[in-house]
Amino acid sequence: MSSASQPIPPPNDRRGSRSSRSSSNAGFPEPMNSSDIAASESSGFVVGGPPGSPSPLALRASTSPHRRKSRGARIPPDFHLLDYVNTPDSNLICLICHCPFDRPVRLACEHYFCRICLDHAWDAQPEGCKTCPTCRHKVDADEEPLPVPKILERMLDELLVRCPNSKLGCPWVEQRSNLENHVMLYCEYALVECPASDCRLPVSQKDCHKGCLHYSVSCDNCHTSLLRKDLEDHQRATCQFRFAPCPHCSAELLRLDLNAHINDVCPKATVQCPGSIVGCKYSAERETVAEHETACPMATMAPFFRDQQARIERNEARFEPLVRKVGILEDGLSNITNMLYPANANDSSFPVTNPLDSNNPDAFPPAPLMPTPDFRLPPASFPPAPHNNDQSHSQPPFDSQIHHLLTLHDSLRDELSRVASALSELEGRTSMMIMNENQRVKEEMLHTNAAINGMRVQLHWLMSATLHQRTSASASSSATRAGGSASASGSGRSSASGTPTTGGATMRGPAVGMPPLRRLSDSIRQDTKL
Amino acid sequence: MLASKRLGKELTKMHENLAPGITKIKCDDFQEWLMDIRVDDNPLYHGEVYRLKFTFSNGYPIEAPEVVFVRDETHPIPIHPHIYSNGIICLDLLDKSGWSPVNNVESVCVALQSMLASNTKNERPPGDEDFVRTNRQRPRDINFVFHDDKV
Ligand SMILES: [Zn+2]
Ligand SMILES: [Zn+2]
Ligand SMILES: [Zn+2]
Ligand SMILES: [Zn+2]
Ligand SMILES: [Zn+2]
Ligand SMILES: [Zn+2]
Ligand SMILES: [Zn+2]
Repeated sequence: MSSASQPIPPPNDRRGSRSSRSSSNAGFPEPMNSSDIAASESSGFVVGGPPGSPSPLALRASTSPHRRKSRGARIPPDFHLLDYVNTPDSNLICLICHCPFDRPVRLACEHYFCRICLDHAWDAQPEGCKTCPTCRHKVDADEEPLPVPKILERMLDELLVRCPNSKLGCPWVEQRSNLENHVMLYCEYALVECPASDCRLPVSQKDCHKGCLHYSVSCDNCHTSLLRKDLEDHQRATCQFRFAPCPHCSAELLRLDLNAHINDVCPKATVQCPGSIVGCKYSAERETVAEHETACPMATMAPFFRDQQARIERNEARFEPLVRKVGILEDGLSNITNMLYPANANDSSFPVTNPLDSNNPDAFPPAPLMPTPDFRLPPASFPPAPHNNDQSHSQPPFDSQIHHLLTLHDSLRDELSRVASALSELEGRTSMMIMNENQRVKEEMLHTNAAINGMRVQLHWLMSATLHQRTSASASSSATRAGGSASASGSGRSSASGTPTTGGATMRGPAVGMPPLRRLSDSIRQDTKL
Repeated sequence: MLASKRLGKELTKMHENLAPGITKIKCDDFQEWLMDIRVDDNPLYHGEVYRLKFTFSNGYPIEAPEVVFVRDETHPIPIHPHIYSNGIICLDLLDKSGWSPVNNVESVCVALQSMLASNTKNERPPGDEDFVRTNRQRPRDINFVFHDDKV
């Protein structure tokens, strides 16, 4: 459906009740879900959409002419009672109700019925033996009917129908898929409860604003007594004295239309020259005035004046919602201000309103002249956008308050985005720093690891050297004294007085014993320092 | 409401065309219709016109209509082993359990036509006289035993 041409539905929209036409809901914005809200809260700054700023919907709501009040529930249309413009294709007809399908379902035997019709038919059947009404094929008691092909639903949606209130005068003819919307929301002929609080009788939506029409009146012409709401119909169609001759041209017409005839049509009625709004005093029968009109200069000018007048009125009418809009924008603006400079929420003069206030050119004092230290936030922590400053001096004052506010709003938005970008820049720099530091630490760790490895090698070398020395010492001692008391004391003794190279390595390894390894670790450490 | 809507639709369709041998006689309200049927291809019923009376409830078409033959000077009751001489028809299609909402006035007429057309026995149901004398029930309340399936 083309949602573009239709107004936004009021919140009591009940179209969801018909599941097969749920597609008609597409096209309207989904409400924000909780994860979206969470995301916007966690990000803190939302550039361009600060909290409290008026949403487009709020603006629209504030400017919409009037809220439709529909008292008394409207009844959803029964598709079985509809009046179709063309005879529908016989394949779209339900065999039970002989109407085009309403929410059709399919049975396993490929027979199609309206959901309601099928339920009614099954209700009438004895418990537990559901059958297909057409072929009596058995259907399991707990088996749900199958959905129908989309193309069938689309063909049904496209059937042209008349409004169920067409007998009351509604001229609406459209595709069936739009019917529910029309009947539930827009039909002016739908019966609603009378607006009077003590009256419960139904009245057409279009007559709702006229107040209660449920009182007796008598027709001025035939003195029949009837309800006020039926009076017009009576005088138009049934009253036996409904015709009357025109007092000027004696044409026979409906009494109801007589005034309109005399005012607009009757050739004999006395009227003024159309130039009267500019000052022409001529007045005569309409026929004569028509002749005068071609010659009267004021009558020639009259249409232009009328146009002008109409334009002025239109502009004045437009002015009112704009004022309201400005109010909303101002609110949003103060919200932005409070958000930007929370410490100065109560100081309305500081600081954003000042730099741009064209009525107060001294409001932007040079910073060095400030005598006392100012603990408030600076007006602009970033170089202000050049065009703001340049123009504030060269340009004439803003031509309207709205323009001024809008400019203010824009500049605030710029400021906000600058804040945001600075923030993200800072964040980037910080994370870069952290990364660099991390890298350095990691490398240092690597080198430490290498050093430890080196020490392990050294240790290993020492161990093997000790072992080697021990075996050689025990071999030599076994030659002199066989079966020494303890191998440990033997080795200790032998190490104390053993060969100078191995003994020195054991005791003073780090100092002198291992020059090559030491050098290696030293050279690595020097690399690290780079 | 739905019944009259549905009957209105059937009526429009019957205006356009009706199966051969079926004529609508009186269909000016949504309570009671009169239909005529002829069965010329069976010599038992050749040349006769039989009049059917349909009585609809508000539950139509979910509830079956009440269908009986009516007798007057020109319209006899057909002789058939499932049709009592007071016009009551013993046909499962018209019974609570045999009725299906996809049936309609025309399809009932056609079914009765074919029931007559296939009949060869020139006789009334057994116990016809007793039944006609004693029965005070409406046809829809009678519990027929469908003793014979080859209607
Ligand atoms: Zn149906
Ligand atoms: Zn089936
Ligand atoms: Zn309407
Ligand atoms: Zn009222
Ligand atoms: Zn009157
Ligand atoms: Zn006139
Ligand atoms: Zn004039």
